[in-house]
Amino acid sequence: MKIRNRNAGTTKIEVPMAPMIDVVFQLLIFFMLTLKIVAPEGDFSINMPLGVPSQSAVTDADLPPFRVRMEADPQTGELVQLLFNGNALGNDPRQAFPLLNREVMRAVEALKATGPGNLDKQEVEIDPDYGLKYEYIIAAISSCSGRMENGKVIPFISKIKFAPIRQEQ
Amino acid sequence: MRIKSASSTIPEVDMTPMIDVVFQLLAFFMMISNFEQSEADERVSLPKDQLAKPPENKRENSVVLNFGFERDKDGKVLDPNPYLFFGDEKFTVQSVANRLRQESQFYSTIGTDLADVTIEIRADQGVKTGMVQELIQLCQEEGIGFQRFALKATQKVE
Repeated sequence: MKIRNRNAGTTKIEVPMAPMIDVVFQLLIFFMLTLKIVAPEGDFSINMPLGVPSQSAVTDADLPPFRVRMEADPQTGELVQLLFNGNALGNDPRQAFPLLNREVMRAVEALKATGPGNLDKQEVEIDPDYGLKYEYIIAAISSCSGRMENGKVIPFISKIKFAPIRQEQ
Repeated sequence: MRIKSASSTIPEVDMTPMIDVVFQLLAFFMMISNFEQSEADERVSLPKDQLAKPPENKRENSVVLNFGFERDKDGKVLDPNPYLFFGDEKFTVQSVANRLRQESQFYSTIGTDLADVTIEIRADQGVKTGMVQELIQLCQEEGIGFQRFALKATQKVE
């Protein structure tokens, strides 16, 4: 009796999958092990005057910079007083920085009314005590540089600089 | 004629769905892996801020300065003096000038204007501000001459 070969003519070529799966698993394990979950980082640009710091005050005689003075407890480095152009805004960071943000917004609106180009020229000078914790600087820079509304950033002032360094108490 | 049927057939496992899933996982991990932040030092605990958004255009030339404290595994500060970390090396603000000079010379050698190089300062939230100011001043000194600075913070999502 003749046995008929049904598959004759259409032979299926088997591709060896094992090596590919090996490599893919290696890659998978590599990426899984090297994965490091980090929060996204952003940054704030700082305008530092060139040369001696005293030069900076002369650059824009028409527009004196907004002054943000930050006093610190010499022992702990905590915020003791926050002042915006000489006005005290308190020492509680949760209230003082939103207040600063509001003050800057008011000042920016007043500035916009005087002329369209004035806002770009305006600077903020941050004058902290030597021992102040750095996190308060970021909070102050953030309060001066903009405001978050409905997930969108409304920019205020982009030129931010530091005052000359104060001596350690 | 009697046809002998195979008594021990090897069952064929269908590999296709598994390969599909593995490829999906591979693609996911490849996308999520971030090699750009490899310069970030884990010892530095950055301040958090909601306005700190990653820049849309990545800077071409930047020097990252990690300025923080020596910490143990739980994140406890071991030494109250902050250091600048460059991999395994650590410097104080007073002793880092030579290292910064080398960075500055490197950019001068490859013909990059120092005005186009940004110094990205990753300072710990507990560092004294005066020290960060001293570091910025040091970067501007003669023989180093960096001009652009950016202060890093972690994005806070509310």
